[in-house]
Amino acid sequence: MAEDFLTIKNVSKFYAGVRALDSVDMSIGRGEIHCLVGENGSGKSTLIKIIAGVVKPDEGEIIIQGKSYKNLRPIDSINEGIQVIYQDLSLFPNLSVAENISLNQLIEEKKKIINWKEVKNIAWDVLSIIKKELDLNEKVENISIANKQLVAICRALIRNAKLIIMDEPTTAITKKEIDKLLSVILDLKERGISTLFVSHKLSEVLQIAEKVTVLRDGKKVGDFNAGELNYDTLSFYMSGKKIDHSVFDYKEDSEQKTLLEVKDLSKKGQFEDISFKVKPGEIVGMIGSLGSGRTEVALSLFGLNKPNSGTIFVNEQPVKIDSPRKAVSLGISYLPEDRLNQGLFLRQSIQNNIVVTNLKKLLSKFRLINNSKKYQYAKTWVDELSVNVPSLEVAVQALSGGNQQRVVIAKWLATNPKIFILDSPTVGIDVASKSNIHNLIRQLAKNSIGVIMISDEVPEIVRNCNRILVMADGRIVREVNTIDITEDELFDLVSSNSKNSEG
Amino acid sequence: MTGTIRSNQIQKIFSQNEAYLSLIIVAYSILVTSLNPSFLSFENLLDLGKSSASLGIMAIGVFVVLLSGGIDMSFTAIAISGQYIAANVLIASGIDNIYFAFLISCMVGLGLGAINGLIISYFRIPTFIVTLGTLNVFHGILLTVVGTKAVNSAQLPDCFKKFGATNVFTIVKPEGGSYGLSIFTVIFIALALLTWFILTYTRLGRSVYAIGGDMEAAKRAGLNVFSIQFFIYCYVGILAGIAGVLHVSLIRYSNPTYLVGSELSVIAPVVLGGTRITGGSGTVIGTILGVAMITLLNNSLILIGLSSFWQEFFTGIIVAISVSLSSYQIRKSMMI
Repeated sequence: MAEDFLTIKNVSKFYAGVRALDSVDMSIGRGEIHCLVGENGSGKSTLIKIIAGVVKPDEGEIIIQGKSYKNLRPIDSINEGIQVIYQDLSLFPNLSVAENISLNQLIEEKKKIINWKEVKNIAWDVLSIIKKELDLNEKVENISIANKQLVAICRALIRNAKLIIMDEPTTAITKKEIDKLLSVILDLKERGISTLFVSHKLSEVLQIAEKVTVLRDGKKVGDFNAGELNYDTLSFYMSGKKIDHSVFDYKEDSEQKTLLEVKDLSKKGQFEDISFKVKPGEIVGMIGSLGSGRTEVALSLFGLNKPNSGTIFVNEQPVKIDSPRKAVSLGISYLPEDRLNQGLFLRQSIQNNIVVTNLKKLLSKFRLINNSKKYQYAKTWVDELSVNVPSLEVAVQALSGGNQQRVVIAKWLATNPKIFILDSPTVGIDVASKSNIHNLIRQLAKNSIGVIMISDEVPEIVRNCNRILVMADGRIVREVNTIDITEDELFDLVSSNSKNSEG
Repeated sequence: MTGTIRSNQIQKIFSQNEAYLSLIIVAYSILVTSLNPSFLSFENLLDLGKSSASLGIMAIGVFVVLLSGGIDMSFTAIAISGQYIAANVLIASGIDNIYFAFLISCMVGLGLGAINGLIISYFRIPTFIVTLGTLNVFHGILLTVVGTKAVNSAQLPDCFKKFGATNVFTIVKPEGGSYGLSIFTVIFIALALLTWFILTYTRLGRSVYAIGGDMEAAKRAGLNVFSIQFFIYCYVGILAGIAGVLHVSLIRYSNPTYLVGSELSVIAPVVLGGTRITGGSGTVIGTILGVAMITLLNNSLILIGLSSFWQEFFTGIIVAISVSLSSYQIRKSMMI
């Protein structure tokens, strides 16, 4: 391509004397699909904000379509055709698809009176650009996340977008939907519209991107053609460390009793005939795309999703788990996928978050909470799991993803669980912390806890589990010992099954 | 796409909400008529239309606030302030003119509504707390500064009484006496239409829906949330002012301690009409149906012979049931 759409030269940004970005160069060609990756705090979001004109760089220049900007304002960025789709999409759930798409234009044109025909026509025109059909009258709250993304993309296109920046667009959609999104992006590419992806999921980055820019600690590690990279090299570039990729080593002890057994568990519309066993010290992986029933099964084991039929045995005794309280009393803990909303009280202190599962132990003889006991207790766990915290009084929301996850784990370990179900324990956590969490999980297994690990990342499952259950369409389609399968085979198995479900 | 088909069904259920409510209203009317045949007479219906107008107008105001994701608890204090001040000013000045009364009452409403709007949009305090506070402040000021003495029927300027008796058309009964369509009902319908128009066909109205749907997204889209909220609370204030005048014209008596305390019976029809208490969703038609249902219920309790104290009980039950039902529906639609 003759001329790049966007070139960034020597851009630096300081926050309170700390370099958030250090002389970063980057260029995005017309119609290019470019990925920006980096760990938390690597400067990705700062860079996006600079491109959007929301944050002013302290040094460097931004050249958009050959025009150099020293002082890029948000409105300049929009006028040049740069549109950012934030992770939360910023749509109006209660308004129709058509209105969500055209609202911005109506605001821009300063119209006082709404012409509904025009609203629909605007929406219709844009949808035809991405060759997709959506029910224009449907409220956005009733459509899938993937379709919401399409609405957000349409809204960006309406402002004549030439570069669409998507912040973590694939976190909440299924594999099938990711493919659909990808096809939309390819259509946009044909029209000369560039895409800048920001993502944490390395396998996806490799699948989608043409070019990858890696940031670490505010510096650019390099630009790569996606073809040159693989999972390991990419995670090395991101973290700067050789990550321990040793495989979980499990020695079976045939004398050991079965800790958890699930027999023919079914719930209408969610999962069917789920049967498996877990022994102490095992890490059993459950892999499948979003919608395969993996989380639903886990919720049933934790008493949050009543199954229609089937039996659960704990220590070879049949049990009825009808509430989380019951689950905890049986020694089952559950780490939810959505750690921010379901796993933590974000505004509460670290200390309060850790002790919440075990308040009874902290009561004084007057049945009041003993504060010094509480502090000691929380402190023990923070040290035990080496959570990196400034103070126990700090609100959990101030911690990094990896440390937050440790707080959730600490909270559950405090209940002394026998069975620990971890649903996507490393979602949104950077590569280095990820491997620390993995080590922690292995440690749990060493202490004879039976672990069930749910994930949709093949390498994570293969490296950390001794046995793998592949789920699709609410069924376990394959159960296999990890030593009998390679990463590639598993990847094929998972993706072929999630394709089938499209049928 | 299965997603689209499924959500279409959900949408149908939601618009069915209003159909269900209409059905219940009809069924209930038939039931009451079978117990007391005078109920379903044309005369009684027109009378209900008249007596429910001030409730209906306040309900429309509450509807707009709920739509925007807020709540207003102070509108009863605004309505009674407008009414009581208007009555007293008319007496003191000797100007016996209903338009003047409306002007004063609406100005009071606008002013008090603006105070709500300013506090809410400027300090970003939860609307419930703000308006619960101003409810007491407005009422307190009215009682201490303006007065506590009720204006009785003899003192009340004639224009109120004349206005209260104005019919758009009158039917003379063969056995003597007459009844007709009150101007009150016409005002209520006109305001409902105006509100519907604003909400459906103006950018301002769509912005009310937008901030009720997602405040943060509205800010990012470049909407001026400050001025939208300010408008909403001013609008509610004016509606409360109008309702206040209708109220005094109906009962021919202005007591500054009236209305305040009846907030729930105004919120009830709005919620019953399907307006989501968390904002962003609801219709004017639903609100009107809600008002009709509540009016019907209150009126029929008396006709059936139950004490009027039961009204409070039933109003509470209705709010509880309809809020639970709509949140259940939302939860169900999310789980499918």
